[in-house]
Amino acid sequence: MLHHHRAHPTLPSRTVLLGANGFVAAAIRRRLAQRGAEVLVRSAREHDLLRPGAAEDLATALRADDALVVVAAEAPCRSPEQLVRNVRLVEAVCAALVKQPVDHVVYISSDAVYADGAGPITEATCPTAPDLHGAMHRAREVMLGARAGAALAILRLSLLYGAADPHNGYGPNRFRRTAAESGRIQLFGEGEEKRDHVWIDDLAEIAVRVLERRSAGILNVATGTSSSFREVAERVAALFDSVVEITGQPRKTPITHRHFDAIAVRKAFPDFRFTPLADGLERVHREITHG
Amino acid sequence: MSGKIGYAGMTHLGIVSALAATERGFAVLGYDPDAARIAALSAGALPVVEPDLPELFARRRDRIQFSADPDSLAGCDVVIVAADVPTDDGGGSDLSNIEQLLATCAARAHPEATLVVLSQVPPGFTRAHGSKSRPLHYQVETLIFGRAVERALQPERIIVGCEDPAQPLPSAYAELLASFGCPVLPMRYESAELAKISINLMLVASITAANTLAELCEAIGADWSEIAGALRLDRRIGAHAYLAPGLGLSGGNLERDLATIRRLAAETGCDARWVDAQAQNSQRRRDWALRVLHDEVLGRTADPRVAVLGLAYKADTASTKNSPALALIENLATASVRVFDPVVPASAAAHDWVVPCESALACCEGADAIVVMTPWRAFSALSPAELAARVRRRTAIDPLGALPAGPFADAGFDYFTLGAPPRRARPR
Repeated sequence: MLHHHRAHPTLPSRTVLLGANGFVAAAIRRRLAQRGAEVLVRSAREHDLLRPGAAEDLATALRADDALVVVAAEAPCRSPEQLVRNVRLVEAVCAALVKQPVDHVVYISSDAVYADGAGPITEATCPTAPDLHGAMHRAREVMLGARAGAALAILRLSLLYGAADPHNGYGPNRFRRTAAESGRIQLFGEGEEKRDHVWIDDLAEIAVRVLERRSAGILNVATGTSSSFREVAERVAALFDSVVEITGQPRKTPITHRHFDAIAVRKAFPDFRFTPLADGLERVHREITHG
Repeated sequence: MSGKIGYAGMTHLGIVSALAATERGFAVLGYDPDAARIAALSAGALPVVEPDLPELFARRRDRIQFSADPDSLAGCDVVIVAADVPTDDGGGSDLSNIEQLLATCAARAHPEATLVVLSQVPPGFTRAHGSKSRPLHYQVETLIFGRAVERALQPERIIVGCEDPAQPLPSAYAELLASFGCPVLPMRYESAELAKISINLMLVASITAANTLAELCEAIGADWSEIAGALRLDRRIGAHAYLAPGLGLSGGNLERDLATIRRLAAETGCDARWVDAQAQNSQRRRDWALRVLHDEVLGRTADPRVAVLGLAYKADTASTKNSPALALIENLATASVRVFDPVVPASAAAHDWVVPCESALACCEGADAIVVMTPWRAFSALSPAELAARVRRRTAIDPLGALPAGPFADAGFDYFTLGAPPRRARPR
């Protein structure tokens, strides 16, 4: 659950975005710009946090009244080496925070910290970090918690979709691309698995609200409504003028579902509404096809 | 009846138990260190709300005396200690009241008098607080708010924790217990203390099963009220089983027992993980009305107005301990919330966004949703047609089924209750 340290929304005097060129950071940056916020972006490309002296440089760039949003990650984390690099990256952030504490830290984490079949998932669900990606995020959460303490907000993201998503992960983004390229969407099995899909702009709005309220604690960014991959595929297919063929294939792994109890989002931000999946997919489609 | 029975602690439990003893023919002393409370009782004012209690009090007023003087306990053959044992947000018990009152009773009661602990205490308490010269008895209370008088007058059985259950109970105490005409079950202290918790955990298990299955009913189009009737006819489950779905655990007692079992299991290394699952289920169901409100009203209406009927944690009590209504209202800061409860003052939900109302009808004026959070009988008599004329939008959220679903649907309301799929308004 989140606890708001500000009763009324006020933008931080400055927001520092670590990992500013990624899909998530760019969306948060856009939303902050719309609000007229002062933002300092530090991309991993320009400011390699793994090089010697990176922590000192970051500390020099930070101010006591900053809000720091940590998005930078080598993701998805699929190898032990990646895990170590990701942990070292946040080690540098933690070292910088020792030298220069800031007013608020927001860590963009993942629902990968939860095991499958643990649902309905809430913020109280035990994060068992069942794989490398989950372990990476969980380790970073704990590290930042040790440095930022009561001023840390952790946002655990469910599956994101959006026009600018560079990943080709199984789900709305890949379905749209393959539908556009080949007129086909291929499912694993018959696409029975249910997942909670979040439009990137909704995440950006929540992140900005967390900054405005100087919120601390844990929040799962999930809509509370899970849809099967077949349902997503059918919705995506319906957006195209031409016929899109949806095909299944023999299943190799058991069906798992993931559901969230999203009541904490509603309690934290009662007037916030997630964009329904159908509307979000349509907006993404329009954005890509019409710019 | 030969002996005089003293009740120490004029709490909800103490008052009801003392008056039950008068009904069984005993002369009773009601002692409490709070002089103002004793003065009010002496003047005939009951500080608790309970069906049939005023009538019982009026009928047996001549058999009970009240006193704030601890020396008055010296005249009693049996002294029964019924202090409040408050719980914190985590369900932990604060035993300081009972320890203080017990010490007073031990010091002031006649040396031959029998001392009985009636308040719920954790396993180990009674043995730790008795002595060779003054052994204690522990009597399991089964108070149910809203049914306390009925339960006190007609207990199913009386469980008594003893230092040595093979020894006969002291005669004056045995005479009191025998007057209720039910089985009396002496057992060792720890068994009796755990028996009380065991009863509550079995109830929690039933409630959790009902809540889990009721949620599935809502999702797949089944109706739990149809299923529950069939279950009650199964002798292994029983006609009186706790099968009504609810808004999580509230009132404080069941939550305390879950906390006690968790603590004991942690200390002893026993496996009580299912208790955690029940606590999680309780938390989830508590937010049921908030979820429906968000899905049906708050996400669709500008400047939403919500009428909340009922603040007590259940009907026929003024208690708001862990009340789902208060939890709901706390999370409605972006709405205008009008509240009414026949017994609980609106000050129990003191927020900027809350407007107190004088009646249920006034509460529903201009509402986008009527949410019945406590199933007071009076609410079931509300006219759907009259409410339909007063509200801005016809949405009835009635988790516990206080309103008649059919007539509300006929009157154009979308109707939502626990354990059944939404019932949309019938075309008119």
